[in-house]
Amino acid sequence: MSKPRVAIFDFACCEGCQLQIVNMEEEIIDLLSVVTPVEWREAISDQSTEYDIAIIEGSITRPEDEERLKTIRDRAKVLIALGACATIGGVNKLKNNFGMDDVKSSVYGEARDMPHLSTYPTKAADEIVKVDYKVHGCPIDNREFAYIVKCIATGKEPVIPYYPVCVECKEKENVCRFEYGEICLGPITRAGCDARCPSNGAWCFGCRGFVDDPNMNAGREILEKYGKTVEDLMHRIVLFNTGRKEE
Amino acid sequence: MSYYKMSEEDLRQWVDHLLSKVTVYGVQAKGDRFAFNALNDSSSLRLDYDVTILPPKKYFLPPKETLLSYKGQKYDSVVDEKPFVLFGVHPYDLAAIRQMDKIFSSDNNDIHYMTRRNNATIVALDVQTPSAHNFSGNMNTAVIEGEYDILLTKVDSSYVVDVRTGKGKELIKGMSGLVTAEMALVDSRHKVWEENKSRLRAYPLKPSLSEIPGLLDKSREHPVWAEKAELCFSCGSCVMVCPTCYCFDVQDEAEWDLSSGKRIRSWDGCMLERFALVAGGHNFRKTKEERYRHRYYRKGKYVAEKVGEISCVGCGRCVSACVPGIANPCEVYNRLKED
Ligand code: SF4
Ligand code: SF4
Ligand code: SF4
Ligand code: SF4
Ligand code: SF4
Repeated sequence: MSKPRVAIFDFACCEGCQLQIVNMEEEIIDLLSVVTPVEWREAISDQSTEYDIAIIEGSITRPEDEERLKTIRDRAKVLIALGACATIGGVNKLKNNFGMDDVKSSVYGEARDMPHLSTYPTKAADEIVKVDYKVHGCPIDNREFAYIVKCIATGKEPVIPYYPVCVECKEKENVCRFEYGEICLGPITRAGCDARCPSNGAWCFGCRGFVDDPNMNAGREILEKYGKTVEDLMHRIVLFNTGRKEE
Repeated sequence: MSYYKMSEEDLRQWVDHLLSKVTVYGVQAKGDRFAFNALNDSSSLRLDYDVTILPPKKYFLPPKETLLSYKGQKYDSVVDEKPFVLFGVHPYDLAAIRQMDKIFSSDNNDIHYMTRRNNATIVALDVQTPSAHNFSGNMNTAVIEGEYDILLTKVDSSYVVDVRTGKGKELIKGMSGLVTAEMALVDSRHKVWEENKSRLRAYPLKPSLSEIPGLLDKSREHPVWAEKAELCFSCGSCVMVCPTCYCFDVQDEAEWDLSSGKRIRSWDGCMLERFALVAGGHNFRKTKEERYRHRYYRKGKYVAEKVGEISCVGCGRCVSACVPGIANPCEVYNRLKED
């Protein structure tokens, strides 16, 4: 590929992941030596319908988003989901635990039936179209983003951790949160963040999504060992992983 | 071989003296646990620690290291040649280093590991506070003879400083007021050693060490593998904290010019789901059960046959690191012995 054209599109999200790209600072120049941006609302004013790589930020929360995403997919050779909102639905999926009418009433009150406020249960990008690469996390780690871009530019398959956060947590020599009687989602969550949360004294809340084959049965059984209930565990899981494989 | 006697205060003065000359990694508190870290002054050094979260292996085989840097087809090996002192290594961890030395110096001599190893001076320390999970007494590693440059043993309120090698002598050189330990004090270390051999047994081990490889030979279909693996997260914690595990992965990381970069080696582990995935997509240990079983075969048989001793030194780190509590080697080997 000779210097591919890139377009970034945002859906329902806080745009924090795009901000991580902006935060690359001087490395942005390096990034631009590898790709050419043709649409990026946060950084440039151009709009384009011709691009090679489409970067999708945010989750799909309305029927019209779904159509827009399909159009983008048709135009792009490569589609990247950027951040938890796009890769797993992210925090936006919390609402899927409630009825859509309740959700609309509590957010928009009287205005809930206005046509532009339509909403449906949140979906991740891969629930609608084929996603070629995922940049996990809430927010993303811009070094991982840079790594994936370089891989695409050189035609190499990026190696993204498939194993749980515990691996990196051990490398950081942290004391396990379970030893302090806390529930941590590290054993079922995909690594790649350098165990950001346990390294700062907090439990992992699963923002990089589950590993491919999370052992949910073990999850339930160990709760007993640590004097916790299934509700304790579910409270932590719903934040980022509502409806994703927890049976 | 020479023996000196030091009070705790003398010892700290000696460490401060060392710190003015060389990098010293010693055990310090990390929250309410312990870890080896670079020392700044002797006052933070803890000689009464029970166990460190990670073994001192991290100084020979770091979690991540650059093996070489490349530009186009050209490359330069990156070898870390800085001398350092590891201060306060417990005997079981030293036994693990002895095994790792055999592995990394045989077959394909690993220059990255061996250069660091040859530049290290090791001050060993007999255990003063047993950790809750330590079973090194079962593994013949509660006490160690040799392998160290200096061994410190606390007897009553003073330390016996056993200087064993030229590197050890080098460390003690220039210290004023060194007092030679009287033979009675040197001999009284046996009391400490006998005591450690019997108290560092947090879990009973039913089979004898020489029995373990044979037991494994006939236990491939034993129900314990599936039973325990049922609860396994494939999280790798048990192998990441293990002083005798040395699996690694190698990946290239390119710079923005896309033609230069670094080759990075990082820890890997046999408990991880795709560890045994080979080109063509075949994973020769697909199931949790196969991976779980493999760890015990590796420790009790495969590596054991290579290095001449069971590849578990009984540090107990895997026992505390495993969230579902299924990683205790004693429990598993006992089950194999029972039925
Ligand atoms: S993943 Fe997190 S940081 Fe990124 S856009 Fe979504 S909410 Fe914001
Ligand atoms: S703190 Fe969490 S991520 Fe770290 S080892 Fe424990 S369970 Fe795993
Ligand atoms: S530790 Fe867990 S929640 Fe925190 S950044 Fe990593 S994956 Fe996300
Ligand atoms: S298997 Fe467990 S007890 Fe044995 S050396 Fe490794 S971490 Fe220590
Ligand atoms: S620490 Fe426990 S759960 Fe994790 S891989 Fe090892 S045996 Fe399995």
